[in-house]
Amino acid sequence: MTDHDPVERSVRLTSPPGDVNDIHDFLAGLWAASPGVNDVDRISLETALVELAANVLRHADVDGTGLSCEVTIAVHGDQITVAMRDTGEPGDIALVGLEMPDLDAESGRGLALIDALVDHVEYGREGEHNVWRLVRRRRG
Amino acid sequence: MKITRHDREDGVVVLTLEGRLNMVSTGSLRETVHEVVEGGASRIAVDLSGVDFVDSSGLGALVSGLKTTRQAGGDLRIAGANEQVRLVLGLTNLERVLTPFATVEDAYDGS
Repeated sequence: MTDHDPVERSVRLTSPPGDVNDIHDFLAGLWAASPGVNDVDRISLETALVELAANVLRHADVDGTGLSCEVTIAVHGDQITVAMRDTGEPGDIALVGLEMPDLDAESGRGLALIDALVDHVEYGREGEHNVWRLVRRRRG
Repeated sequence: MKITRHDREDGVVVLTLEGRLNMVSTGSLRETVHEVVEGGASRIAVDLSGVDFVDSSGLGALVSGLKTTRQAGGDLRIAGANEQVRLVLGLTNLERVLTPFATVEDAYDGS
């Protein structure tokens, strides 16, 4: 925890040609501007956001025409919040009772990982957009 | 993601990965593991010391490699995992089947 000023950054990802590597690059800039965020918070938030973006890119682009999403992250006081809006199809998403799949499963861990990495996950529709909100309380 | 293959004298194939193991790059890891097994080797050590980040699709590719090598009578073991990789292995319980070894030498030490 530090007394640094709040930091808020946004990025728009359009896929194709954008992919999750753009999220990593975006976060590298955010962390550089927020040196007070500790390693565990940083890697937890980064993993959660990349999982979320991957999930959207993989599942929401139903017709294969691509989609765009806008991500805003705010580091403010004792929490980090992520807001993500995408133009994809509505998801059939259950955020309750998420469990890790069996050890031999090759997929299906993304949402359960997000749930384990942040303190609050919200999903809803606003007009033609899917809207996600993640909150992680800072540990350090 | 860059993958470098090294065939050791003891039959273990070391795959050294560099970069991020995510939905963009998992296909090449799956292909490489299949090539190794089709070529007759089944003991693989994956060196993750040059990997910054693994997501759930990367974990899926490692699980796939584990199943492929075990079906061929071998194993897939990982080494050099950083803090992020250890975190996701722990949260997904996969550390039970993908035990992170410190180095590739440790991964097949005497077995």
